[in-house]
Amino acid sequence: MEAAEVSNTGEVVTFTTLHSPPEGFRSPLHIALVELEGGARLFCHGEETRGVKIGSRVAVENVDSVFYFSHMGYADRARMFWRRAGARGEKVAAISKSLVQGLFKGRSRGQE
Amino acid sequence: MTLTAGALDNDRVTDVHIAGVGMTRFGRRSESLPDLIAEAAQLALADARIERPDAIVIGAMNPEEFTGDGNFGSLINTHLGLSQSPALRVETATSSGIAAFYTGFAGIAAGLHRRILVVGGEKMTHVPTPRVSEIIGRSIDPHERRYGTTMPALAGLITRAAMHKTGLTLREISQVAVKNHANASRNPYAHFQEPVSLEEVMESRVVADPLRLYHCCPISDGAAAVVLSAERTPVRVAGIGQGSDTIAIRYRSDLTSFRATQVAAQAAYRMAGFGPERVEVAELHDAFSPFEIISLEDTGLFAAGKAGRATLDGLTALDGRLPVSPSGGLKARGHPLAATGIGQLVELTWQLRGEAGSRQVDARVGLVQSIGGLATNNWIVLLAAGR
Repeated sequence: MEAAEVSNTGEVVTFTTLHSPPEGFRSPLHIALVELEGGARLFCHGEETRGVKIGSRVAVENVDSVFYFSHMGYADRARMFWRRAGARGEKVAAISKSLVQGLFKGRSRGQE
Repeated sequence: MTLTAGALDNDRVTDVHIAGVGMTRFGRRSESLPDLIAEAAQLALADARIERPDAIVIGAMNPEEFTGDGNFGSLINTHLGLSQSPALRVETATSSGIAAFYTGFAGIAAGLHRRILVVGGEKMTHVPTPRVSEIIGRSIDPHERRYGTTMPALAGLITRAAMHKTGLTLREISQVAVKNHANASRNPYAHFQEPVSLEEVMESRVVADPLRLYHCCPISDGAAAVVLSAERTPVRVAGIGQGSDTIAIRYRSDLTSFRATQVAAQAAYRMAGFGPERVEVAELHDAFSPFEIISLEDTGLFAAGKAGRATLDGLTALDGRLPVSPSGGLKARGHPLAATGIGQLVELTWQLRGEAGSRQVDARVGLVQSIGGLATNNWIVLLAAGR
């Protein structure tokens, strides 16, 4: 098997908070199933699930071979677009794209 | 025996009938597992009026870990005083009871034996709860288990996805537990005999958000047995089917229904030659209350998206259009793993024979569903009264 590069951001498929976790895990235990951009699905731990919904954008980080998810606010998402945009000329396009997507997602996901 | 082309075209050669049934009370029991199994087996053999079956099939999910017993087929046939009847043990996680029943069914249908005792049992209440969770949790995919998932955790993930996708509500889910406790209060074999209110269910402590304690089945001890026969009896096995899915739930395209149930149901209906419209009573695997609603739709007993509302409207209550789990279900009758599926068959046999006492419903065709693991290995059995 070969290692494959995957995105470190994705969408929450579903999540739960377990109040009687097995031995070796702290309680409460936040668990999410996350679908990365590209389709790979991972189980992740998280610090909290406050504000998380099905469909929420999350960043996924690998710490000592355990995946962790963290909720991405608008500030995080904007920073990502700036970083991705790179050259100054692309920044305007990235910002406007981000704003449009934010508006669109805010509307479609605001009804849960 | 000469097989004609016509016989080969059929799904099976010999019709299989239920000649006798028996079960222990489910709950916290002080007896040993072999003693519990013997109690159920002797009741079923007496009910069938036979002393020695041609063979014995035993369902047990994990006696090695729960009670330290091994070589389980031989342990049990010897304990029953039936060491001359060949015995084997069958396992498909939490649906092991129906897996044993299937093995017995196949033995008679194929003409290998005329009368087979099928018995399932489990004893767990003497083991501390975290250890029980860990042992049952070994039926989960290793990657998913590494994240601390237990069966309630996976059920919580599935419940949230279902509520998001289909609009299933906590009230509908909670009504399953209320209905099943009410049924169990009429069942002397049930683990819990007390009814519960909708408020008590909805306000019980959170186990795996959004699932609460009263949405989860208890840890129970118990055993149940049936005698299968090639000779005609009042209850015939009309159909049986197995369905499967990936052990890892992250590989499933749809979390809100169980392919393993759908495939098993299609196979059982095909063998029976009729569909869900003939089913008049069902025993479903409500290890977690939302599973009853998902299962009602997976089996075609209700259209997709309709079972939650139907439950709230009382259509699945004892006096409803389709009584579901008159025994009290896993939630209230209890869930001694391998005993559960056979216990469901015992209940439906009593129902079809008109022997179910104060919880008797009017039915000629019944459906049993059993879920193995997190719906990795599921079964459907259809029983029919008369011919």
